Amino acid sequence: MAIPILFVLSVFLGIFAYTTLVERKALGRIQNRFGPNRVGRWGILQPIADGLKLLIKEDIVPRRADQFVHFLAPVIAVIPSILLFSVVPVGTRLVPVDLNIGILFAFAVSTVSVLALFMGGWASRNKFSLLGAMRAVAQVVSYEVPMVLAAVAVVMAVGSLSTLRIARAQSGGILNVTNWFVFRPWGFVGFVLFTIGAMAESARTPFDIPEAESEIIAGYHTEYSGFKFALFQMGEYLASIAMAGITVTMFLGGYNGPGSGPGWVGGLISMFWFFIKLAFMIVLNIWIRGTWPRVRVDQLLGFAWKVLLPMSIANIVAVGMWHYLTFRPLAWVATTLWLVLWFVTLSKLAATENVAPRTYRYAS
Amino acid sequence: METIFWILSAITVLGALFAIMLRNLVHCVLSLILFFLGIAGHYFLLRADFLGAVQILIYVGAVAVLMLFAIMLTRHVTGDEGPREVLGGKWWAGMGTAIIIAGLLWAIIRKDQLAQILPAGGAQTSMVEIGKAMVTDWVVPFEAMAVLLTAALIGAVVIALEEVIRRR
Amino acid sequence: MGFIGKGLLDGMVVTARNFVGSYFDKERLVTVQYPEERVQTPENSRTFPFLVYDDNKNPVDTMRCVACKICETECPPQCIYIVMDRDEKGKPRQRPKVFDIDTSVCMQCQICVEVCPFDAIKMDNDYEKSRYGRFDELVEHLPDLLKSNEYYGRIKPTEATVVDAKLKAEKEKKAKKAAPAGAKPPTGSKS
Repeated sequence: MAIPILFVLSVFLGIFAYTTLVERKALGRIQNRFGPNRVGRWGILQPIADGLKLLIKEDIVPRRADQFVHFLAPVIAVIPSILLFSVVPVGTRLVPVDLNIGILFAFAVSTVSVLALFMGGWASRNKFSLLGAMRAVAQVVSYEVPMVLAAVAVVMAVGSLSTLRIARAQSGGILNVTNWFVFRPWGFVGFVLFTIGAMAESARTPFDIPEAESEIIAGYHTEYSGFKFALFQMGEYLASIAMAGITVTMFLGGYNGPGSGPGWVGGLISMFWFFIKLAFMIVLNIWIRGTWPRVRVDQLLGFAWKVLLPMSIANIVAVGMWHYLTFRPLAWVATTLWLVLWFVTLSKLAATENVAPRTYRYAS
Repeated sequence: METIFWILSAITVLGALFAIMLRNLVHCVLSLILFFLGIAGHYFLLRADFLGAVQILIYVGAVAVLMLFAIMLTRHVTGDEGPREVLGGKWWAGMGTAIIIAGLLWAIIRKDQLAQILPAGGAQTSMVEIGKAMVTDWVVPFEAMAVLLTAALIGAVVIALEEVIRRR
Repeated sequence: MGFIGKGLLDGMVVTARNFVGSYFDKERLVTVQYPEERVQTPENSRTFPFLVYDDNKNPVDTMRCVACKICETECPPQCIYIVMDRDEKGKPRQRPKVFDIDTSVCMQCQICVEVCPFDAIKMDNDYEKSRYGRFDELVEHLPDLLKSNEYYGRIKPTEATVVDAKLKAEKEKKAKKAAPAGAKPPTGSKS
């Protein structure tokens, strides 16, 4: 048990360090720049340089800040993110901890991270920090609901909360691929819902209003510098990577892929597939970050409650239909129709808002 | 196990005490969260891991966060409201509550009902059993709770609507 | 109109094209790798003022500045400080002893250049002026400020030829004026 945990800790911390580099390089290329290319060839040592820089930077605590809470917030930001990795099955032979409440544990732990955002923003005694904290709390509380409901669909289909059993349920089929839940109507919808929810939960770009630079400086971590700031960043990135891992486990077949199996060779191949899928999710996150603009606060909350929530409830119904319609072609048609109907209705309902033509007072 | 139990108990009791004795409102809520986490730890210790996770998810992730959110929406965002008295001079109210709770606890412990409910070696409460119990034996209380919560929700909407109408 | 979310997917196609394109089409990358490669600055670009001298062998004596302090009084942010050089008897030597420009204050407005009657102060285009200190190290003193007329001709050829021609014409005019005056008896110089 100790070895998988050590492996997961070291590997995922390394992935975190290099995700920052890959993200900066990819964003640079998306904007037709080079990205970091100074520290080592292709900027390969940039994460180390960043870490050193943040370590030796001056740590400033505002004089009127709540010293204790201000100190505690970055620590609390990191702990849940690291705990999240404990339930992600990396390979058939590499599962850090197989809890029989795996998914629930992941959600329970990830909700704690919102406390860190709140504590950091509140303890700084800075209006921008406080605004960021308020936005973060509202956002995380809203997006947790559709995210959990999207996961409930998978839990219903598998009949277990254990991540390992969810991953096992997706093995088999043609090349170990066709049984992935993303290739089911409800699984695809759940995948989209869960990815959106995970992005909002870890405050990634289309939903990064808690730290919107153009509006509230840096949001809840405005008053943090040096290593405490690094801890906040680390918590955010680790949470987003862990959520990507959980998405992979729940919808993209986890470690299953052509050649994966219970033996040593199959185990190594399964790890390969897991990390390939993880990389896909991370790249998707970066790609989205480089493309989409930030949503407004009202759009953000409206989207969560008016589109994602009904859609995830409809998805749960779709899983029930899938379970009881044992004749598969009929199940395919019925669930697809049901979900498409809901999607069209909800997008029609959502689109009726804000349709008045925009009037400009100063520009013509 | 025993040491972990005592450590958890100390954390829980300290959290509860701080929650009522600290002066800053936000500090109180944060201590309350510590208390919730301690309770969740106790659940885990009793191998009721589902309950523990739900405790964190609901109480820490939702209830406490909503409390914090409510504080942030008021004018006392900083939470500083100066010194407050815990009982406001009504010591007899506190005494009465303490006596009632102590009596109830004493009655329960004396009748050994806890030991009857919990089988030896901790409760084997799997989710499946909890789920089944909820929709068979306890379906009426479960539905009553659901109705109560829905009523509360509708009430909140009505109050918010009144505010909106008054503003117009 | 397509379907809901089509705009988002279109955007992702655009960024993907940028991402891939930047690896194959070097024209896309507009970044200049600064210390190794530099962009040629336009001729009229300007940074901070410098003082022009004519003779490379003797910069201090042949500088054009006569310490008239017009630029000091005209400078809007008052970043110029001049002390006139005097010999032992206290007679002005018509050149500055101290000429300081505080580059942290200078706003590169070129007004000192416009008001100088002697074409003694000109705008440089050297932008690598960062220093390790915030205060004294950002003040440029007389030795740092002195630069040759050739340097001026090199950085701003068009402007420099005009100035050179003007100075030459003035010199010739002076010489022409001086030549008849020199023919007359020495009393003429008194008037």
